[in-house]
Amino acid sequence: MTPVLRLLECLGAVAFYLFSIVRALFIGPRYLNETVRVADLLVRRCLIPVGLAVAPVGAVIALQSVHILRSMGTEGLLSSLLATSVFREFSPALASVMVAAQAGSSIAARIGTMKVRGQIDALAVMSVDPVRYVVVPGLVACAFITPLLNVLATILGIFSGWVFAVPICGVDHGTFMVNLYSQVSMIDLYVGLSKCLVFGTAVGLIAGYLGLNTTGGATGVGRAANNTVVYTIVFILVADYAASMLLLSLEL
Amino acid sequence: MRFDRFVRHALRAQFQGLPPRDEFMRHAIDAGVGSIALLTLLTVFSGMNLAVQAFGTFSRFGGQEMLGLFCGVGGIRELYPVMAAIVCGARIGATLAASLANMQISEQVEALEVMGIDPMRRLIAPRLWAVTLMLPLLCAYADAVGIVSSYVASVYQLGINGGVFISQVRDIVKFEDLAAGVLKGVIFGWLVALVACYHGYRAAKRDGAEGVGIATNRAIVHAAVLCIVINMLLSALMYT
Repeated sequence: MTPVLRLLECLGAVAFYLFSIVRALFIGPRYLNETVRVADLLVRRCLIPVGLAVAPVGAVIALQSVHILRSMGTEGLLSSLLATSVFREFSPALASVMVAAQAGSSIAARIGTMKVRGQIDALAVMSVDPVRYVVVPGLVACAFITPLLNVLATILGIFSGWVFAVPICGVDHGTFMVNLYSQVSMIDLYVGLSKCLVFGTAVGLIAGYLGLNTTGGATGVGRAANNTVVYTIVFILVADYAASMLLLSLEL
Repeated sequence: MRFDRFVRHALRAQFQGLPPRDEFMRHAIDAGVGSIALLTLLTVFSGMNLAVQAFGTFSRFGGQEMLGLFCGVGGIRELYPVMAAIVCGARIGATLAASLANMQISEQVEALEVMGIDPMRRLIAPRLWAVTLMLPLLCAYADAVGIVSSYVASVYQLGINGGVFISQVRDIVKFEDLAAGVLKGVIFGWLVALVACYHGYRAAKRDGAEGVGIATNRAIVHAAVLCIVINMLLSALMYT
């Protein structure tokens, strides 16, 4: 088969996959209990990794910028810098990366295991659409839990930044709080949340697609889980850059 | 096997003479050369993003000229080593965990033991050495790519003066910072490989294909979290 044909075949498969997901979202039976079960499971699994990933980043930003800003005599700007970078950038990006690493790879591994054992085909034989029953609950769960986890991650990031700035590096508490409130607006929160919504959806879509296309036994399951994380991280970083450029040109 | 026992065995196997050469070379090439494309892609975008994001933040209080400082410190001291570690965990670590778990569930590790070959020395030690030696090189490479892409974004997209950017980077980034980044690379590389090998080695035959997925998943998550937390501790030690 020529490369062009293979590319067309791949594009066709992705388009068909997206179409069947949209159809499953809007028409026909919805498996709400399954969605809630998956969301509950994923929140429990992601809570600790997301918290542990974002909290140190806030601390590191405070630690590194306090020296530079102090040498310029603009120590008060520390909390503005911390808040804008955590709210808009680090918390959404890192929370989504950790959701991809934990939820995405476990979804891909679960679907891949089902595929390898022939359970996906068994579902199709029983006229249960595998996309509708297996992929869509995971997708909806990811899209919902990523913004929720982001809120928690943002709070943790700011708090750990405060811990390093105020008690450890000796920045004045009042100055920290005043600059924090003066710089953060609702737009920052909305930017972070909408980024998370997009990234979470991407995690669910990629995990479902790679899981359903698993071939080659146990090695294939590992490869599907692995590729999900790699592709999602690439998507998150590229989309993050595009979002930053867009926001800069819109002057938000 | 418990984690502390695994670490003891792994350390002993690692320093008990040279690792098998063919295994070591295979994994070193896979870890180093195999990650370059992915790491380049990710570092280019995160370097550009760092500049754009910093520009947006600093222009709120009129400090656009500090961009070089921010990209130098934030990138070389913190972002690129952690990036390299996470990419390495997601790609190399996951592959290691999956392949070891696969060997466990198809009883290849037991077969080695039956033949009187220590799997720790034959399988784990070369993998640990390969990743530990390759990740610092990847870190240094990521530093270079990242700072160039920050420069490109600042000068050509945001209209910052190129000379000012370079002189600020030179002012703030000292040799110690580069050395610290590479040292972080060594530590992260060892941790990523250790965590990945542990989760892969622990898979049991009865878990089947599911066990491979679980091992991969745990390897990625634990390695990423561990690297971020250790990075904070190292930075707190080095820069306070």
